[in-house]
Amino acid sequence: MIKDTWRFEPFNEEPIRLIDEEGNWIGEFDLDLSDQELQELYRHLVRGRLLDERYQIILRQGKTSFVAPSAGHEGAQVGLAKAVRPGFDWIFPYYRDKTLLATLGYPVELLYAQMMATRLDPNKGRQMPEHPGLRELNVFTVASPIASHAPPAVGAAISAKIQGTGQVVLTTFGDGATSEGDWHAALNFAGAQGAPIVFAAENNRYAISVNFEKQSGSPRIADKAHAYGFPGYQVDGMDVLASLYVAREAVERARQGLGPSLVEFLVYRYGPHSSADDDRVYRSREEVEFWRKKDPILRFERFLEKRGLWTPEAGEKLREEVKAELLAAEEKAEAAGPVPPEWMFDDLYSTPYWLLEEQRGILLAEL
Amino acid sequence: MATLNIVQAVKRALDEEMARDERVVVLGEDVGKRGGVFLATEGLYQKYGPDRVIDTPLAEAAIIGAAVGMATHGLRPVAEIQFADYVFPGFDQLVSQAAKLRYRSGGQFSAPMVVRMPSGGGVKGGHHHSQSPEAYFTHTAGLKVVVPSTPTDTLGLLKTAIRDDDPVVFMEPKRLYRAIKEEVPDEEFTIPLGQARIRREGTDLTLIAYGGPTVEALKAADELTKAGVSAEVLDLRSLVPWDKETVLNSVAKTGRALVIAEAPRTASFASEVAATVMEELLDQLMSPVYRVTGFDTPYPYVPDREYMPTVTRILNFAKKALDY
Repeated sequence: MIKDTWRFEPFNEEPIRLIDEEGNWIGEFDLDLSDQELQELYRHLVRGRLLDERYQIILRQGKTSFVAPSAGHEGAQVGLAKAVRPGFDWIFPYYRDKTLLATLGYPVELLYAQMMATRLDPNKGRQMPEHPGLRELNVFTVASPIASHAPPAVGAAISAKIQGTGQVVLTTFGDGATSEGDWHAALNFAGAQGAPIVFAAENNRYAISVNFEKQSGSPRIADKAHAYGFPGYQVDGMDVLASLYVAREAVERARQGLGPSLVEFLVYRYGPHSSADDDRVYRSREEVEFWRKKDPILRFERFLEKRGLWTPEAGEKLREEVKAELLAAEEKAEAAGPVPPEWMFDDLYSTPYWLLEEQRGILLAEL
Repeated sequence: MATLNIVQAVKRALDEEMARDERVVVLGEDVGKRGGVFLATEGLYQKYGPDRVIDTPLAEAAIIGAAVGMATHGLRPVAEIQFADYVFPGFDQLVSQAAKLRYRSGGQFSAPMVVRMPSGGGVKGGHHHSQSPEAYFTHTAGLKVVVPSTPTDTLGLLKTAIRDDDPVVFMEPKRLYRAIKEEVPDEEFTIPLGQARIRREGTDLTLIAYGGPTVEALKAADELTKAGVSAEVLDLRSLVPWDKETVLNSVAKTGRALVIAEAPRTASFASEVAATVMEELLDQLMSPVYRVTGFDTPYPYVPDREYMPTVTRILNFAKKALDY
């Protein structure tokens, strides 16, 4: 299906929104999702939120050492995950994307295994928590240095274009990433090459403690796409349907050879930057409460309720089901046992190296 | 047998590998119609087209970072950094992405890529066209680092580097690009990484060199012969992995060694080699292992040649070792 008309205008003044805060559909086109699809979106929103809550518990239990809270980001992340073809398209995520990855089909027990560095983690416990990656799902293993995954994402997109695979690359990042040189280098190269890539900014207004006004003189991240010659859209990222429809359009443009897009999702993280942060020193509780009232899950519940697709009881039942699923996944991940220390020397090079074998010997003598 | 210089050897390696494997692509600044500022990619754009010889924006982070993504997605990119001195904007991509990708993903992803860069001095370029920054890369687990010094080695090692499944930093001593010509076999060949080459056999002293100063090491060996001293000259060729066995065998035989490199001495790869030899061969050494290196200053525009280990400097340290 080749489209020559598009639903959304880039460089919009007001964030694109399809559900208002009372849960009314305000789109200028007909909703074309089935009831079942809508309920699936809801399930993913809830699952992401509960997973985030559960991570806080395993942190307190000492089973993991670090959590990057994602509550408040679920609308954007579910929308993005549902806009791509899982296992076909490539995803270059950042460290706050647990809902995106879980929605994409990243098995939750493997997410837990990464959080707890158990033998089940395909990344073999090499990285701190919240840094998953899964080859079979084309999810590029997360790296901490901010925006450093953006140039590789562009490279993968150029490769897909050269090889004519029809794949699209999606890369996500926070607002702080948009200040990094690598980010600009990546968008600039993608624009010059017309690469099939979607750059998705999860703008939660804070890079740890630095608010967006201090991050950039631009009022919108989306505006920066002007400079690179491709469309930029600003979306209410706490509206899952707006997130989904705009992400789909950006993905479709890329798939049709029309090049990159930059999509800015306005979200808010309710928690601190990480379990090592205290956000009370840089923002008021009133501000956090203000944003919590715009919660993507609450808003979508109102929307579903108006369509007869949600009741408080049904919501509670779903939560209990998902909690049981998550607990089973957590137990499975934990049961795999910790990664053994001698794995330290594997997977560095494709070929054996005497130096590492010498050092493996040093380690083994200590164990 | 064709006679090739080093830059022609680079070009032939790229051409042969691009012809052999359509996944091999070249990217960098001016690598397209211009053929690279040193002409190492001359003619490749015309032969393989813009999808395989990619002129990039002037941004090293984009060049190296995109190579990482291309590599993990299935291509075999060979990135050119115009001068090694300009690699630093792309340094994070090498260190945080390329070097760690296989490791951090538990072997799920890898970055089979080459980053070529002309390095070293002697071209009147001042400090931003003359540095030898290999220690930054040898210090980074996950990268392989290759520094050839002859056309034959350049051809054989670059082909191996392109076929290697790990990221390889390939540093070409630019002052030798057109300074050395030799006959190179017409038939295809590769040279494995991690093997030093004995350039000259000797019994009294081992001169361990790599890259540009291999030339001065050979000249110094000639001078030493005149003085009745038999010097063995090793060209490491590959720094990661490096050939400890050949080095130790040689020094065990001679009992004396100099490690010769252009890079500044402090925390250099020469220091690593010297320390290893002293740790493993202390009771067979007749003198300390001296590092004969560039100075711990930025590389000055003037004096240009005198910054690097000259034949005189090598001979002065050889005397010190022999007289110890």
